[in-house]
Amino acid sequence: MSRFDPEARRMSLADNEVTRWLLFGLVFMTAWEVAATAYDAPFLLPGPSRIFAEFVRAPGLIMINAWITTQEIVLGFLIGSALAMLAALVLLVVPRWLEDFIFRAVITLNSIPFVALASLVVVWLGANTIASKVAIAGLYAFFALVYFAHKEMLSTDPLKEELLTSYNADFGQRVRYLKLPSALPVIFTSLKGAAMAAVNGAIVGELFGAFQGLGFMILDSRYVGNTARVFVAAVLCTLVGWIMLGILAVLERRFVGWHLEMTRQT
Amino acid sequence: MTTANASEGSATAARVLVSVRNVTMIYGGGTVALKDANLDIGQGEFVSLIGPSGCGKTTLLRLLADLIEPSSGSISIGGKSPAEARRDRAYGYVFQAPTLMEWRTVLANVLLPLEVMGFPREERQRRAEAMLALVGLEKFADKYPWQLSGGMQQRVSIARALSFDPQLLYMDEPFGALDEITRENLNLELLRLWRETGKTVIFVTHSIPEAVFLSTRIVVMTPRPGKIETVIPVDLPQPRDFETRETARFFEIATEVREALRKGHGYEVEV
Repeated sequence: MSRFDPEARRMSLADNEVTRWLLFGLVFMTAWEVAATAYDAPFLLPGPSRIFAEFVRAPGLIMINAWITTQEIVLGFLIGSALAMLAALVLLVVPRWLEDFIFRAVITLNSIPFVALASLVVVWLGANTIASKVAIAGLYAFFALVYFAHKEMLSTDPLKEELLTSYNADFGQRVRYLKLPSALPVIFTSLKGAAMAAVNGAIVGELFGAFQGLGFMILDSRYVGNTARVFVAAVLCTLVGWIMLGILAVLERRFVGWHLEMTRQT
Repeated sequence: MTTANASEGSATAARVLVSVRNVTMIYGGGTVALKDANLDIGQGEFVSLIGPSGCGKTTLLRLLADLIEPSSGSISIGGKSPAEARRDRAYGYVFQAPTLMEWRTVLANVLLPLEVMGFPREERQRRAEAMLALVGLEKFADKYPWQLSGGMQQRVSIARALSFDPQLLYMDEPFGALDEITRENLNLELLRLWRETGKTVIFVTHSIPEAVFLSTRIVVMTPRPGKIETVIPVDLPQPRDFETRETARFFEIATEVREALRKGHGYEVEV
């Protein structure tokens, strides 16, 4: 047996993922509660119990705001990711010079500080609808995905490309049988990043101009010194992100289970 | 010593299937990869292209497969251009690397060309299963390629190349990355496949014993510029087995190939 046997580091306490999360949550919350109690400055650092109490004070109102932000995040994520995949595919078929040109445009856009871009989008699309927030969340998600999706579909194994040439495959078949499946592991990793980016985008959008949503709630509660409610908003954002990551992880196992299996075995 | 001139490199028995006339291939940088090549290959032959790196053997195979186009000269495959032959799915190509899709099971990999080519579902399944049985891997149908050894992967690749029943099988150093023992076993298996399917095989290698063991004719190529030096017929009786490698005739032909390789520039060649 190897001296560096990875099995030796195997966790003994909790073998399954959910149990490990629950255990971590319990330890973390307890530590937080203890620290908050000892520090005793609820306006700076409220403990989990105080945050939960704040939520219970107005669950309906908070959930309405959370629902609005969730819509922005999910719509932004779906639209942004779909457009990123479409763009990645279009970039494969356009002439070389046009691909180069578009790519420069993408890189330039990407290097503009997102916060500046977000404030502009709010100006363009208005603060009173969710459209501007969806657009910002979508923009964040788009840039988190488009580069990697394109790069992966472009840099397929040349031998596999030649194999398909020998079958006289057309472009659609190349995408279906080679480019997409071989890029899928990286696409899933990027989609997780895009989901997180969409959460950020929606909140940033709401900070710049909104009259509802968790971002608005953060701003509003901060003004009146209700730190606990800022925490409630932050926790709910985190939860939305986690649920999306969870769904993506399930889809990943379903669609690129082979890759998870392969990296584990080889 | 029976050395035929390159221009006389004609197929002996059956009708000519592949005909290469004055083919020259010059790559972008000006490298002459292949110079004035002439070669006829008959239906059902097993022809090896042998030579050191840079002799143009892979270039010639890629030209036949229409993966590249010649700078000058003409190629005919069953009376058609290589482009037409490729569109008509005249050949199956086996690369040096197995080139299997990691996301597809072994069976699904053999199904791939059949799906691309639009075979009906039942026929696809039937053919793919038959091909896996032919290479003795039916028990591994549901495994993924990376769960198989290198030799098994290459057998899947051969099954895949044969699945749509092409006339020709092009093989580019298919066993080059395998260990000697696996390679000799696969050589034997390939000969069995060749006998059973009646395919015309064009096989690129840099191993002299492999070329002698497998081929009905050996095309000896030399580098700088890549050209066909000579064509050596192999009259070892069929079917061949492990003992064939120990016969005096085997060594005579191997020596003949080695000398031909030396004659054209004398670069070191793997033996």
